[in-house]
Amino acid sequence: MSNLNTQMIEKYRNSFLREVEANVEEGEWVKMCMQCGVCSGSCPFGPHWEHPPQEIFMMIRAGKRDDVLTSDSMWMCTSCYNCIVRCPRGLPITHIMHGLAHYAHRLGLAPKENPTHKFAIKFWDNLTRTGRVNELKLGLALYFMNGFSEGIKTSLKMKDIGLGMWKTKRLSPMEIVGGHKCKDVSGLHKILAKAREIEESKAQKFSG
Amino acid sequence: MSDEMKIGAYICKGCGIGDRLNTQQMATIAEREAKANVVREHDYLCNADGVAMIQKDIDEEGVNRVAIIACSRRAKTEAFNFDGVAVIRGNIREGVIWVRPDTEEAQETTQEMAEDYTRMAVFEARYQTPPKPSGQAGRNPHLLVVGGGISGMTAAIEAAKAGYQVTLVEKEAELGGTAGKLFKRVPNAHPFKDPMDTGVEALKAAIEADDRITVHTSSTITKTSGAPGRFSVDITRESGETITENVGAIIQASGFKPYDANNLPELGYGKSPDVVTQIELEALAKAANGGPIKRPSDGKEVESVVFVQCAGQRSDKEGHLPYCSGFCCNASIKQAMYFKDANPNVDTVVLYTDLRTPGAGGEDFYRAGQEKGVIFTKGTVSEVETGGGLKVKFKDLILDEDTEAQPDLVVLATGTVPNSGVDIEEVPQNEPGEWESDPNSVLNLAYRQGKDLPLLKHGFNDSHFICFPYETRRTGIYTAGPVRRPMDIQQAIEDATGAALKSIQAIENAAQGRAAHPRSGDLSYPSFRKEGCTQCKRCTVECPFGAIDEDEERYPQFNESRCRRCGTCMGACPVRVISFENYSVDSVGQQIKNIEIPDEFDEKPRILVLACENDAYPALDMAAMKGIEYSAFARVIPVRCLGSVNTIWVTDALNTGYDGVVLMGCQKGENYQCHFVKGSEMAHYRMSKVDDTLEQLNLEKERVETYEVAITDVERAPKLINDMAETIEKIGMSPFKF
Amino acid sequence: MSEIVATNQTILVVGGGISGMTAALEAAECGKQVILLEKNPSLGGRVSQLYRYFPKMCHPTCGVEINYRRIKANRNLRVITMAEVASVSGDEGNYQVKVKISPRYVNENCTACGECSKAVEAEFDDEYNYGLGKRKGAYLPYAMAYPQRYVIDPRILGSDDAGKAKAACKYDAIDLEQQEQEVDLNVGAIIWATGWRPYDAAKIQPYGYDRIANVITSVEFERMADPYGPTGGKILRPSDGKEAKDIAFIQCAGSRDRNHLKHCSRICCMASLKQTHYVREKYGDDGKATIYYIDIRAIDRIDDFHRKVKEDPNVTFVKSKVASIVEDKATGNPVLRGVNTEGYHRYENPHDLVVLAVGMEPSVPADQFPADVTINEEGFIEPTSQGAIFAAGCSSDALDVNRAVQSATASALRAIQVVNRVAGMEG
Repeated sequence: MSNLNTQMIEKYRNSFLREVEANVEEGEWVKMCMQCGVCSGSCPFGPHWEHPPQEIFMMIRAGKRDDVLTSDSMWMCTSCYNCIVRCPRGLPITHIMHGLAHYAHRLGLAPKENPTHKFAIKFWDNLTRTGRVNELKLGLALYFMNGFSEGIKTSLKMKDIGLGMWKTKRLSPMEIVGGHKCKDVSGLHKILAKAREIEESKAQKFSG
Repeated sequence: MSDEMKIGAYICKGCGIGDRLNTQQMATIAEREAKANVVREHDYLCNADGVAMIQKDIDEEGVNRVAIIACSRRAKTEAFNFDGVAVIRGNIREGVIWVRPDTEEAQETTQEMAEDYTRMAVFEARYQTPPKPSGQAGRNPHLLVVGGGISGMTAAIEAAKAGYQVTLVEKEAELGGTAGKLFKRVPNAHPFKDPMDTGVEALKAAIEADDRITVHTSSTITKTSGAPGRFSVDITRESGETITENVGAIIQASGFKPYDANNLPELGYGKSPDVVTQIELEALAKAANGGPIKRPSDGKEVESVVFVQCAGQRSDKEGHLPYCSGFCCNASIKQAMYFKDANPNVDTVVLYTDLRTPGAGGEDFYRAGQEKGVIFTKGTVSEVETGGGLKVKFKDLILDEDTEAQPDLVVLATGTVPNSGVDIEEVPQNEPGEWESDPNSVLNLAYRQGKDLPLLKHGFNDSHFICFPYETRRTGIYTAGPVRRPMDIQQAIEDATGAALKSIQAIENAAQGRAAHPRSGDLSYPSFRKEGCTQCKRCTVECPFGAIDEDEERYPQFNESRCRRCGTCMGACPVRVISFENYSVDSVGQQIKNIEIPDEFDEKPRILVLACENDAYPALDMAAMKGIEYSAFARVIPVRCLGSVNTIWVTDALNTGYDGVVLMGCQKGENYQCHFVKGSEMAHYRMSKVDDTLEQLNLEKERVETYEVAITDVERAPKLINDMAETIEKIGMSPFKF
Repeated sequence: MSEIVATNQTILVVGGGISGMTAALEAAECGKQVILLEKNPSLGGRVSQLYRYFPKMCHPTCGVEINYRRIKANRNLRVITMAEVASVSGDEGNYQVKVKISPRYVNENCTACGECSKAVEAEFDDEYNYGLGKRKGAYLPYAMAYPQRYVIDPRILGSDDAGKAKAACKYDAIDLEQQEQEVDLNVGAIIWATGWRPYDAAKIQPYGYDRIANVITSVEFERMADPYGPTGGKILRPSDGKEAKDIAFIQCAGSRDRNHLKHCSRICCMASLKQTHYVREKYGDDGKATIYYIDIRAIDRIDDFHRKVKEDPNVTFVKSKVASIVEDKATGNPVLRGVNTEGYHRYENPHDLVVLAVGMEPSVPADQFPADVTINEEGFIEPTSQGAIFAAGCSSDALDVNRAVQSATASALRAIQVVNRVAGMEG
């Protein structure tokens, strides 16, 4: 269990809702849910949820901290925005889902083997390295995520698409040796470090 | 209308009547047989020319009973609105040509039908006398309000603003009622976000400042006698000192008692001081006055509180309230805000099954509660444990699991019990001439039927009618606020304002001797022939409005302004001594007797239909508009209420040679639709006794049928008539044709 | 039209539904002079289009009949139909009101004999039945209409039908030359009782009201249940005319939803509970109803009714705001998708017919009030402390009939206070 997690448990003893409100993006909306369930019914990933959004909100209110933060539910969201559009109370459900996922990740509670969680980490690492997505490296990293032979199989399956992208100049084999980057990579890294600093100090400051 | 009778009969030929019927023949009957003084036919009676013709006869010929033989009394009513004369309608459009086929073979019976309606109209006109003032009318622009809570204070202020004098009586030493015990109230205006001032002090100040309002605190009503326009009320102070006030109308705003939470031991009430009711929490909030609320047991500042909704409500369990008290969801939100506004870190959870915050304000207030961080959990509470800290055990219905909370304080949203006085079904009234006031009664009415208003469901003094929430079974006495129905402050204020209007209306009606709705404006009045009266008391007992008392000699004592002119007394009277000037045993009986009864061998039976003017008669009219046919043997007479049907009409009809009688009244029983409450029920009861008469006459009991007919029974009402025709075909004609 | 007499002691009531009729009658029966304006050709308003009332299951036309009789008997009350307020100026105790009166093309001579209607051929959607049926170009708005006088639809003017209607009338009641009139009234107080309209169900996109034949609204369902309605009282599917025995009721269709109406419309829960009775009334044990709800708001003593319906084994309650409806092309059945939030149960339920319990929207849009009143975010008139324009009934909030009548009665007193003050009347 991460240090931050212990800190947070200590700090928001008994009130997971308040913890969410303080630390999760758009978390202050959770209390506004009236349990109509239209979000859960509208989600195209419907049947695959362990806990649909409205239930997650109720669990937060009921203080089910571990069940929520270790759930793979919020990693299911594909940002289709159906729920936001239909929510009669105007809850930014998609954002809350991502906020919860991010928070669970920060606390080290996100399900390790969840593919979208894994993808998110790889995508972030890939992107922040140069300030540009390295399509080739990202693709390969994903293909080989579940082992070498799996990776070979997937790569072969995807080779026509790769060739197509190469022909239309969407993908360069040269990316493998470094690839393109933004103008001021070190500047970007400073920005990201600062952002993290602000985020953490904000969480510290919130007295709940 | 002069007493010297002059009947004008006017037969219209419009709307196809002239094409279908021999109106000349009808005119002859009106003149020769029914002896109308003036008889005229007109191509189109309701136009300006036709109306002018009638008016001319009134002005120049002295016609004072106008029998218009044309369309239904429900049509063209305004056109035939003549001042100072009796207007009778013979219905040959909706009642004859529109319900009969336009065929040659039907012509004869259709014509007979129209001829009978001509006879009936003229005979009905003959038995009209001009309404005379009863001598009881009088204007007293002064009203009494019983109860000094928000409802009572509002009623007093609003009536005074319209220029009326008010006497306000409150049994406690202070005005304010339940609302006076509240810290704050649910907001009544946009943005519906925060609890607001109760407004009680402002109302008190307004009463103080208004010299039209006189207040008696620590006082109760020990006797109320009289009638609208002339009530006499004894107001007794705690000291026993009594004053008598004369008032024109009364508003009962006696409010509610909080439900006794001692009935809820399973929810910990009485076991721990930290389990309180909503009203008890108001006291804690008042003490805190915006600061942190402290729990009763040890004075610790409350850090977590659980509100249990529907505590002892919406439940059939013994000792619970079967209804929803309506205001408690919003009240709990408001109370949760007391905590949140003082300290946002206090945990406030509302456990509910259906959160009821209706209307525009309600939903806004619910959202405002959520914005302040109040948690709403759909769940049912099974138990509140009190040993060693509170433990609320509940089933979370969303997460579908049994769980518990351990708050510092539990608030039970218990409901309201109306403060409606004594149940007159249970508590008998003193005998005439004797009087003793009942300390449990609110009004101590000296009415023969009992000391308080009749109760409706669950002990509330409500109206039974959706369209007429101020309908009352004691004319001139109106209930307002939560004694009438569970309600919140906002609704109580509206309700009290409405009740003030109705009281003012009762005062103005009494001043003119006019009836209240549904027979609004009727100036006739029941009187009785003392010589014939056998003091059987049926009229006193059966009057749905408690309008009739008994004098010390046990004769009925009619109170005009309490009377609603339904005629239930007239229907009840076994010796037929009760009548109205414009509606009497004769005004209907003579219509029945004076139709043409064909010979038994003519195979033309006659069916008397007595149809309630409120629902059954309009249903028959609408059937006619739709072109639904019914038997040409029917003769339909509208009655004010089936309760006004005297069994003599039925026996007379059978003796005269009618072959069948159909009675159509409104729905009776628990969900009664009868506009006069008990009329239809009484009629059904009375007709169940007609069987004996039929037996004596040696007639089949199928010849008399009594039905409940709704205004929408457009298909069914004609069918019931046709059913009777079929029955007669089966069992044969009546032998009583002379 | 005969001259309209009004003074600053006259009370003007705008809107002739149950609230307006009540306010007008209650004031007139106190002896006040009252003018009642109605935009449509008949009084009656929304209640005249209902089959039954909750919780008594009685018929609204019953009370309407009583009120019409009170109107006919009261000479203090003047009814003007097809009339709308164009503007209001002045102040408490002295308002000048411009009233626009549309031509009916039928005058007081009409006997309601119906010959004009028989003569006319053109048919139009019947407003009384929310367009579910047709009516003629010369018509009586409904059987009980008040005034009991026919109307010529302006769309037949200039056609053969207009001439036929005129020729069929023996009473010189049809006047095709009638023009719009403008009348100025001086009144002391105004009661605003313009009521509500059903929220436009087509705006609730996922429910497919505009795409799926067997998705209808609660107000349409009322007409269907009424023996005087377009189906003669039979509950039939619009797609194929088959009996609809398994019916879904969707609550909060447009209410409690910031995408539509923010407020709770109060009546819809009870209305749907009532309508489950219609299903049982018509089909007995074969009739099934499912209510999809967020909270059942059967407030105060009418909760009895709710509890009785809950005991009915053929009525199912699902706590869920339905997410979407799709049509099963083979059967025409609407299929409801969503999640029952009591324990997370996903469903995909086909029904014969879906009834949307549509919300209550104020009839007059907030920016179209011809008078100076304070309107809240929901479009309802706020209680005012200045001036003498008083809201009655559903123009003040989403109310049931009982509360609307209460509100109307209260507003009658508020208006009387003003005119009594003008008259200098003291008790």
